Amino acid sequence: MEERRTSKRCGGVLPFIIGFLATCVLGWAVIPGLFFEEVEQPVRFSHAIHVDDQGMECDSCHYFREDGTYAGFPTNEGCADCHAVDPAEAMEAIAEAGIDPTDYDAIMKAEIGAIEDNLASESEENKQAEREYVVKYLIQGKEVPWLNYQYQPDNVFFSHQAHAGLDIAELAAMKNELSSVVDASVFEEPAEQNCNLCHLKDIDKTDTPPAFERNVLSGYSKMTMKMWKCERCHALKGQPNACYTCHK
Amino acid sequence: MSVARRAFIQMSVGATVGILFTPTVWTALDDVSIWTQNWPWIPTLKYGETASVPTVSKMCESGCAVKVRTVAGTAFGTEGNVDNPLSGGGICPLCANGVQTMYSPNRIKAPMLAGKEISWDEARTVVAEKLAAAGSKVAVISGDQTGTINEVFSALLASKGSDAFYAMPCEMQAADKAWTGLMGGSGQVGYDLENADAVLLAGADALESWGPTVANLKAFAANKSGKFIFAGPVQTRTAAVTSKWVPVPTEGMAAFTLGICYYVMQAGKSVPAADFEQFKAMVMSGYTPAKVEAATGVKADVMADVAKTLLAANNPVVVPAGSVAGAAAAFALNLLLGGAMTVLPEFGKAVDGAMSRSDMLQKDILQGVDADVLFIYEANPMYALPEQIKAGFTVAFDSLNTETTAAADLVLPTPHSFERFEDLASPYGVAAASYSLGAPISKPTVNAMSAGDFVLGLADLGFETFEEVVDAKVAAIGADKDELVGGAAYVLEETPDMSGVTLAASVLGKAAVPVKGTGAVALAPYTLLNVGTANQATTPNAPCTISNNQLIGDSMVVMMASVTAKKLGVGVGSKVKLSGGSGDCEALVQIYEGVLPGVVAAPLGMGHTVGDEFSKGKGDNVYKILTVSSEAATGTSTWAGSTVNVAKI
Repeated sequence: MEERRTSKRCGGVLPFIIGFLATCVLGWAVIPGLFFEEVEQPVRFSHAIHVDDQGMECDSCHYFREDGTYAGFPTNEGCADCHAVDPAEAMEAIAEAGIDPTDYDAIMKAEIGAIEDNLASESEENKQAEREYVVKYLIQGKEVPWLNYQYQPDNVFFSHQAHAGLDIAELAAMKNELSSVVDASVFEEPAEQNCNLCHLKDIDKTDTPPAFERNVLSGYSKMTMKMWKCERCHALKGQPNACYTCHK
Repeated sequence: MSVARRAFIQMSVGATVGILFTPTVWTALDDVSIWTQNWPWIPTLKYGETASVPTVSKMCESGCAVKVRTVAGTAFGTEGNVDNPLSGGGICPLCANGVQTMYSPNRIKAPMLAGKEISWDEARTVVAEKLAAAGSKVAVISGDQTGTINEVFSALLASKGSDAFYAMPCEMQAADKAWTGLMGGSGQVGYDLENADAVLLAGADALESWGPTVANLKAFAANKSGKFIFAGPVQTRTAAVTSKWVPVPTEGMAAFTLGICYYVMQAGKSVPAADFEQFKAMVMSGYTPAKVEAATGVKADVMADVAKTLLAANNPVVVPAGSVAGAAAAFALNLLLGGAMTVLPEFGKAVDGAMSRSDMLQKDILQGVDADVLFIYEANPMYALPEQIKAGFTVAFDSLNTETTAAADLVLPTPHSFERFEDLASPYGVAAASYSLGAPISKPTVNAMSAGDFVLGLADLGFETFEEVVDAKVAAIGADKDELVGGAAYVLEETPDMSGVTLAASVLGKAAVPVKGTGAVALAPYTLLNVGTANQATTPNAPCTISNNQLIGDSMVVMMASVTAKKLGVGVGSKVKLSGGSGDCEALVQIYEGVLPGVVAAPLGMGHTVGDEFSKGKGDNVYKILTVSSEAATGTSTWAGSTVNVAKI
């Protein structure tokens, strides 16, 4: 009888509620963060310097090609228009200095004239970022492996051109319906271009690119839009949701 | 039950229920489902700008003008070049797989001396020593019919005091020996198939494998009113779409052509050639319809009907294939008809001391090659004619492993056509002289070097690199390099002087007599580009297009008419051994009434012992059973008239 009383006193719903609340808190506030690891971009690219200081437009680097395909990330060919370091000349100077061309730290420390004289940045911090880009990628002939915040797998065909006409101001009329699909704050002060709908909001104003949040299970970006989001927006906009619309 | 335990269970239940009210489980399940699709071995796409880069491909014998599809600078496909008249947007089955071949694991990865990898400097030292010791006993076999690389090799030979330049047996060689050798012409014979209103394809499988096949197909498609007739021992795919198929044995083609000459001259046609009267007398006496019918089996009225068609046309042309005599007879007939046969001038040379194209075609490889040092450039003589090759030291330049590279002392990997400067001057068969050029589209994926660059390092030929040679060639032609690299072809509509041309009457009378072997049945070898050629085995995507009339499983298929099969005691699916030449082949029998009775049709290009999974061990090598015979009077060798014995096994 004593045991049964004790059981009644300490039992009931209290432990259940404690367990319930504990995992609710963990499940909403803690565990989701554990699914992601932060990965820095390979180069500290400052949008602010390029856009605000140098007056470049978004489509200076992120442009549509003549055939309508989207260029996405800039390539060395485009970057070299301004970052005018001659790879052959730089490599020759590195060889003359007796430095292993793959020993990036040694090259940067050596302050090779063929590189240093052609760096465009002014502050040492920015110059170091530019130097890293030049040494690790430009003169090596390797493209920067930019991390795509909106990475989609190969089996998804996404056409930027098909979405180029979306107008944030017009979409604001259905912001409640779209609240689970896009960042609702983009509707507060609609930008002229619609990039904010899917991409990191106001990334063009960042000086250091935000870390890429990689899902430790799937490997995808935290910002990768799931299929249901695509379908939701398509449905709201009266667009087809057949498989072949995106899976060619 | 203790209190703590009960409470723990209750808390666990609560926690379990609680977690279900969070996105954690559902998100994790979603992520895991995605994780299961992301195995590291799944290939990923390369993204970037797509482009179509014009160049030329040398996988087929005549070469194709192509565009290579690239993404972010990486080649991924090949298509025709609509801006180049050689292509008109079309592409042959071999060149269509150019990119796949470029990435093939069968590529030669590095210089190999006696099976051991060496450096390029070591290779050059070895070759230089061998060359110094060989004196003038140096020879070259080239599998390239149209490239300026031949000028580099022939100039090297000249610098060593040798003229031993050999081409692999080809239609261009037979035509040149007939036109410049027997008939005293100059330049290269061509055929305006697009504008001809009557075309007699005298053995030329023009829409399948003969000459510039792609250009031929385009011309055939554009020629809405022309009447095409195919003559040959097999109703080939070309014959299947022409207006008429005239069954003519291979060895009888020259006589058949002279039989038509008979009717044409009877109709009053003549040529202002010095030996016309001699030619006329020879044909009118020796190649009367009755005699030709007796020699070839072709009915006189059939020949008369063909002659009538040609005579009624305003712009007829006869296109020969096979023997030198057959080519000479066809050229004589074309001169009589005065139609769409053209003569192309040869472009100026880039390299001093290099041979002319005609000079490069003079040596007869079927009569054997014997040298102290032998260079073999992108040819596979050890597959097609192994018994003819003897050399103290063989250097094989190729991009792919072949029977020839396997047998060579030194193997030097060349860049693929798409990885180097490559040019293509007037492939045999085109109506007008043309020049096309391609610049490298991508860097070699292996430790390869242009054969031109290597050879230019062996002797002072006036150039440091092959690119300089190409520049000199473009300058000699008077073309614009940028336009050529941009995909356009330079076309020259000039015609050489033909005033001294004769009809080779004294030779043709004897040379056109059909000569046949002693085997039970005649052998009609045929080429399908998807099966391969003497130099190029079938390519990665092509095997699925090879029909059951050529290959079943790993067994070659030969075709014969039912009357032939009955005579041989075989039927559909019978496994037979064909013996002839210096070897034998195994094959399965297919009955096809489009084969002349007494003839067995066998596909060339199979039976490789070296190569990739698509060609090695597939079918049998018909070159083994071809008989090399000397063509009477012309002094050349021929495979025409080959016969085989067939035994059921």
